[in-house]
Amino acid sequence: MKKIKHHIDELFKDMPRNNETEMVKQEIIENLEEKVFYLIEQGKEEEDAINKAIVEFGDIDDLKKELGVKAPEKKSMAKLNLEFSLWGSGLITAFFIFINLYYTPNTIWAIYPIFAILWWPLSMYFVWSRKKWSE
Amino acid sequence: MVRSDIIRGHLDSIILRLILEKDRYGYEISQEISVRTNNRFQIKEATLYAVFQRLEKKEVIEAYYGDVSHGGKRKYYRITSLGKAYLSELVKEWTEVKEIIDLFMEGLE
Repeated sequence: MKKIKHHIDELFKDMPRNNETEMVKQEIIENLEEKVFYLIEQGKEEEDAINKAIVEFGDIDDLKKELGVKAPEKKSMAKLNLEFSLWGSGLITAFFIFINLYYTPNTIWAIYPIFAILWWPLSMYFVWSRKKWSE
Repeated sequence: MVRSDIIRGHLDSIILRLILEKDRYGYEISQEISVRTNNRFQIKEATLYAVFQRLEKKEVIEAYYGDVSHGGKRKYYRITSLGKAYLSELVKEWTEVKEIIDLFMEGLE
């Protein structure tokens, strides 16, 4: 029976650890054990019964989706990217303006690198809003 | 065995029907499906629990803990009144789908 628990632990290892997954996990182990007992009653060896139960368990991807493994993580990533790009481009812009005003106050050249750097937050904004629309 | 992706879209109906008859637990349901279909269709456990999760979130079924078996407590599912309404919608839909597909499949070998 340890083998079943071990196998399910293995399948669940990259799922979020919370009450919900724990309950589902317990439920699955409980039912698999029941299946094994049933198979043994039918005259199977314990080893065979356990293997059969594990093989027939199937693919866990659907369950992962239901328990929401990756979805929230990606959403916050786009937002984080946008925030980072805003802060980063803000700092770089301030830096160029300062250098420009301090050393060559009579020639305005900082506008060129600033225009270039603006593509960064713009593209991140695009990624973020596209994600928002698709939800 | 039947291609499972065709049946997939109707797993909700199958499971709700079985729970409608009486409250059941996971293994009992997968067992019942195999018995009734004479092993022509077997549901994978992993799929079954994904469906339970989905149906529970939709509030068409609810779970409670029942008697203790070999390992631990059995988790039973019962259908809610929303579930009954949902199932009868599914039945209507299925009748419709069956008629439509039959229009094209009937009379062919």
